[in-house]
Amino acid sequence: MKRVFALVVALALVAGFAFAAAEQEFPARDITTIVVWGAGGGTDTSVRVIMGEMANELGVPINVINVTGGSAGSVGMAEAYSRDADGYTLAGLSESNTTTGVMVADWDNTVDVWDWFLVGGSPDVVSVTPDLPYETIDDLVAAAQAAPGSIKAGAGGAGSIHHVNLLAFEQGSGADFDFIPYDGSAPSQNAAMTGEVQLVVTSVAEQAELIRAGRLRPLAVLVPDAFTISGQTIPSAFDTIPALAEVLPIQQAIGFAIRADAPEEVKAKIGEAFEAAMQSDTVQQFGEERFYVLSGAYGDEAKEIMQGLQSSLSWAVWEQGIGVDDPASLGIPRP
Amino acid sequence: MEALNALGGFFTSIGGLVADPINLLVLFGAVVMGIIFGATPGLTATLGVALLTTLTYGMNQSTAMIALLAIYVGGVYGGSYASILINIPGTAAAAATALDGYPIAMRGEGGRALGLTTTASAIGTIIGMIFVVSLSPLISELALQFTSFEFFLLAFFGIIISGTLTSPDLVYKGWIAGFLGLFLAMVGRDALQFYPRFTFGNSQLDGGLEVVPVLIGAFGIPQIIQVLKDKFVPKQAAKLDRIVPDFKTIGRNFKHIIRSALIGVGIGAVPGIGEDIAGWVSYGTAKNASKTPEQFGKGSYEAVVSTETANNACIGGAMIPLLSLGVPGSPPAAMLLGALMLHGVAPGPMLRIDHPGFIGEISAILLLASIAMWIAGMLLAKQVVKVLRIPPAIFMPIIAVLAVIGSYALGTKVFNLYLMVPVGIIAYFLTEMGYPIAPLVIGVILGPMADQNLRRGLMISGGSFAPIFTRPVALILFLVIVFTIVSQLPFYKRWMGDLRSRVAERRQARSSSGANKPE
Repeated sequence: MKRVFALVVALALVAGFAFAAAEQEFPARDITTIVVWGAGGGTDTSVRVIMGEMANELGVPINVINVTGGSAGSVGMAEAYSRDADGYTLAGLSESNTTTGVMVADWDNTVDVWDWFLVGGSPDVVSVTPDLPYETIDDLVAAAQAAPGSIKAGAGGAGSIHHVNLLAFEQGSGADFDFIPYDGSAPSQNAAMTGEVQLVVTSVAEQAELIRAGRLRPLAVLVPDAFTISGQTIPSAFDTIPALAEVLPIQQAIGFAIRADAPEEVKAKIGEAFEAAMQSDTVQQFGEERFYVLSGAYGDEAKEIMQGLQSSLSWAVWEQGIGVDDPASLGIPRP
Repeated sequence: MEALNALGGFFTSIGGLVADPINLLVLFGAVVMGIIFGATPGLTATLGVALLTTLTYGMNQSTAMIALLAIYVGGVYGGSYASILINIPGTAAAAATALDGYPIAMRGEGGRALGLTTTASAIGTIIGMIFVVSLSPLISELALQFTSFEFFLLAFFGIIISGTLTSPDLVYKGWIAGFLGLFLAMVGRDALQFYPRFTFGNSQLDGGLEVVPVLIGAFGIPQIIQVLKDKFVPKQAAKLDRIVPDFKTIGRNFKHIIRSALIGVGIGAVPGIGEDIAGWVSYGTAKNASKTPEQFGKGSYEAVVSTETANNACIGGAMIPLLSLGVPGSPPAAMLLGALMLHGVAPGPMLRIDHPGFIGEISAILLLASIAMWIAGMLLAKQVVKVLRIPPAIFMPIIAVLAVIGSYALGTKVFNLYLMVPVGIIAYFLTEMGYPIAPLVIGVILGPMADQNLRRGLMISGGSFAPIFTRPVALILFLVIVFTIVSQLPFYKRWMGDLRSRVAERRQARSSSGANKPE
């Protein structure tokens, strides 16, 4: 009898604590961030850094885990979305997740089901191997127009952001390359080192070391503004090819998201912590070292950016013939 | 000159690192954690490095590197525990070790086997380290000879060789198992065009079959069923006390150690492939070079020493392209790349300019980690061997639970369990029919690499196979593959047998005629 009584008391105490916790203001316990891309990658590292700073701001630990698999991060995204919309689960995402609706049959949501917090991203750059004679983006475009398909261009697999950038660059400039797909940016750059391809389109961050060592010659960035890396200024392709402005920029957007139906006060708390974390020295320094353009956008501003990316990327993968759901049926407007 | 600079950094680093007691604590802690990760089927060195990366964020750069490299070294070594003791490789890297390690343990010499692998692993790591410090620039240039066709041939070679080596009766069965694995690897969206293949509209299959659940299912489940079915009791208890480094055997196998270490470094240096292939290739070469190849598969010390040296030497090898090109040489090294970035070190061609002492420091840490691994291994092995005393009826269900947890832990996906169980059941029936399982797993691991690179190579060449014959490295690999296959065919064996007996006859005739002369 005594034992039963003790048990009841213990249970009551636990229940009491649980209720007390529920009453408490957010955040009362650990937060889990589910990164849908692999450990060590661009999204993973960025999210870990920002979460480290936000944990200081919020005063609770933030556990970062990786749930990968599926297409366009669908498995991890579905996992994060299946958890309660209480702010204790966040999703570490990137621009590629805007195509999930088109890529997989069992995810029919658009970017609107999330509220986004964007850390930033690194702009895409068109580079050639140093043995090629082209010194400017115009030389390259002229050569590619004169002999269509003669230059082999490496980038990530079909539908990746760098491939979509390459497609848009071809469309805007009228150049035609022989696209060779790789399973990621690093293998495509490595292929340029071995001479398998002569041109690569990846981000400045990914190419930085090779550019600085003179193993790749950067011709132009695919964003409206020039980009400076270790004292070397890479001009914008928009300067001499104004038609690009119609199809570009399609820029990397790494960050995290919370379910859009989470309570407003929770979103506000996270927004505050995010703003403070973006201003911290750690994040600023991280952005500089990784050659990021830091964003810091959240709320409506971030949603608009993601909707734009969703249009460009979803329609691009659909036109590549690799989607399963028509973007029009999901209500995604053409870019 | 570069090597000298690195060497200088190496010695100053060792002194600096050892002076800090925190570093030593982290070193041993991470090595032991790595061994546990490696020894638990389902937890891999890659996962260990990935999990620890998060924890090192607050540490300074040197301490973080100590933690990460130590868990890497410990993880690759720890895989041999499970291979030897329960015949389920703790990691894919230790799969080849199980072939001979387990028979040795069955003979009641589990302690001796662990002592040997501990020393062999330590020596392998140290030899790998020497290459990092001295030959980094040279080896990374050779790695640049590898384009799509070479990668395809290398992956194909890995599948063929593991099929050749592991077949208990007919070599064709090994190749069939390898191709089954290759087929399983085709499931999912292909990495080039991103087109879904064999996914049946299930987005869980889009990313392909994950290696870890397949590994655990294929090796673990047949083993569990087998042991429980046979009510088998290993006869080990008698000789548990002898866990000694056994330097005599090490000395006798010295040439195997050196050869395996070179293979390990070479394979590690090629981006994209890692410890698992190093183990297999080294096993195969050791078998070919051995005076007693018939002992292989029945508990040969040469085999165990060779595989364990090679997979640990691979760590150093994998660091070479990571540090000099920014291209990770193995999956755990890919995790390390992420960790280095977090700590503000960008590996690549500029590393020697930006962080002049860094390669020396990495080498110093590798040396310390291998010493720590040896000490921890010698102390732990004695305790770990005792698991063999547990009756299988209790032990195997525990292994089954660990296998389930291990499959689930990676990515915390229930789907992995749906994958592990059917793969395990299929693997059980294949084992019953005398098909080796290792080639199947190797097929799953190397399949994507073979597939992508062949198709990409053909895209680049415009559909022509000519580059295989015009590129030197590709041609060598191609000839090695042809030889590996032909040497197993009946007509070749008969022909070689004839040749050998004819040579022997002639020699006998000559020696007898020579012996006759003085008379």
